[in-house]
Amino acid sequence: MTPDHSYVLRTVEERGVRFVRLWFVDVLGLLKSIAIPASELEAALEEGVGLDGSALEGSARLHERDVIAHPDPRTFQVLPWRPGSLVARMFCDVRMPDGSSFAGDSRSALRRVLGQAADLGFTFQVGAEIEFFLFDEPSDGELPRPLDDGAYFDLTPLDAASDFRRRTIEYLEQMGIPVKASHHEVAPSQHEIQLQHTDALSMADAVTTFRLAVKEVAREDGLHATFMPKPLDEHSGSGMHVHLSLFGDRGNAFHAPDGDGPLSELGHAFLAGVLAHAGELTAVTNQWVNSYKRLATGFEAPEQVCWTRHGRSALVRVPSNRPGKEAAARIELRSPDPSCNPYLCFALVLAAGLRGIERGYQLPPEVDDVPPAAATRLPEDLREATDLFDASELARDALGDRLCDWYVRNKRAEWAEYRGKVTEFERHRFLRLL
Amino acid sequence: MSDVWIYAPAPEQAVIPAQLLAELGYAPRRLEVNGSLRPDGGGSRPPALAFVVASGASAAAACECLVRLREDEALTDLPLVVAVEPEQLESGPELLDAHELIVTPYSAEELRARIARARRQVHGIEDGDVVRIGALVINLATYQVHIGGQPIDFAYMEYELLKFLATHPGRVFSRESLLSRVWGYDYYGGARTVDVHVRRVRAKLGPEHGRITTVRSVGYRFDDD
Repeated sequence: MTPDHSYVLRTVEERGVRFVRLWFVDVLGLLKSIAIPASELEAALEEGVGLDGSALEGSARLHERDVIAHPDPRTFQVLPWRPGSLVARMFCDVRMPDGSSFAGDSRSALRRVLGQAADLGFTFQVGAEIEFFLFDEPSDGELPRPLDDGAYFDLTPLDAASDFRRRTIEYLEQMGIPVKASHHEVAPSQHEIQLQHTDALSMADAVTTFRLAVKEVAREDGLHATFMPKPLDEHSGSGMHVHLSLFGDRGNAFHAPDGDGPLSELGHAFLAGVLAHAGELTAVTNQWVNSYKRLATGFEAPEQVCWTRHGRSALVRVPSNRPGKEAAARIELRSPDPSCNPYLCFALVLAAGLRGIERGYQLPPEVDDVPPAAATRLPEDLREATDLFDASELARDALGDRLCDWYVRNKRAEWAEYRGKVTEFERHRFLRLL
Repeated sequence: MSDVWIYAPAPEQAVIPAQLLAELGYAPRRLEVNGSLRPDGGGSRPPALAFVVASGASAAAACECLVRLREDEALTDLPLVVAVEPEQLESGPELLDAHELIVTPYSAEELRARIARARRQVHGIEDGDVVRIGALVINLATYQVHIGGQPIDFAYMEYELLKFLATHPGRVFSRESLLSRVWGYDYYGGARTVDVHVRRVRAKLGPEHGRITTVRSVGYRFDDD
């Protein structure tokens, strides 16, 4: 038995943990869980737990296949929101019975791309700023109602949700997810919590855990927390800006103390890769029909493919407030929203950046404020994004054909269903007019 | 379960110590007394103990092995136990480089006591010990950490990092040395990993128990008071 196995088993015994939840996500990033009693834990650690792999294929499932979920003992963590009867969780890697990784496992896909970065001598570090809304739990079919009228950075007693954020942060920190900052966002009932950077796999696990923790805290208050990218027409949507850097033997490889631009040559090439493949990434960074409502309506959400140091609505911002600080050299990708599959998002963005490095992409000039009319725009809707993703050699190289096919099948089905729906917009505009 | 690396001149000379060590709950692993100090495949974390068998004609090689173990910078703080036949006690002054010496034949009980003495010499603590620093209590046998009686739930590597720092109080460790000694030589993740884990441990301990001090441009130190 390895030391991490005995750590888990002993802790379960000492702490009186009764159930352990084995966590994994489907291709859409939605959390799935199998609960096993503590008595089954040792066998689960040694041999894994069998399940039907079609559970990972999202809503567009084809047929069953046997796969094995192998819990990662280093992700063992007691869940803090269950003080009565203790429950713990571990993330799983999903493999085929022969031990090879299952094509539909997003976590394995991210591990694979991280392995490519490791071959070049780099670890991929990610920080995340996650926005979300709190609503009164809708009743009687009424529209969800924002909770308060607090304004940006408002921390007075009027801010009904500062206590909410404090409790959420406590839960997160108890789960090993340190928080950098939190504040009220622009829209009513909208909040932002910034997670401290860590390696991309831990961050993808953290984002998955974060979404559940926030929903749990909301539920304790009889509220509903949503990561829907654009819940209200007239207010800004929820984004998940991600801060990205590569660290090698000599520290932050994006840092250039005396360089020409804001980053090192390597950082510029990485950024060029992300920009060059931005259209292909969008189906993953912005995966739902609703994601494109956020991108289309301003409020500083990016629409065009460009980068800036000081502008406000570019796809990528290169923070330059602390140019001398090595650890601060990074790029901030502003398109992802918090409802993405973080594993696929980080995997594909990293693959795009690495391709920029490997093929020596040239960085286009910085755009200071208003992007020129000629700038490439991001896909306008899910159909366009899915087409670009489907045809992307980069996505297929990075994520594998089968995972891409499953993903595309889900997205095409979502688009087809959406296209057939008569919307509020149409009823308001046309019912009387026509 | 902790690893023990057994350095023996021939496989059969490792059999008895391996059995006894396994009985005591260790995971023994045999290495050549003349060969590499680390197991094949890049090696893993330093073990809990190095056990050197000095017997017959190979006593000189065992002495040399002890010297190499002591001089290996990444293995400082590794408790060394040497097993000697009565006739080999005069083999060389290097035998005294070991933290503890045991004369064959010996029982599992004696071995347990000798290991405990060796570990205590190096760490000042034993595996079964409880480390108390102010309100912080770390039970090394059960892996449980409490502050003021309240359990704190650490993930495995967070626990290992806290344990290492708390059992070496007052000493400054670079990120690189923490990586090799807590994560192991084969771990790929870079020095960033250490910062990230320190931050997680600090967040769980809470600001009022912030005993892990960042030593600027060097690394980290655990303050016991």
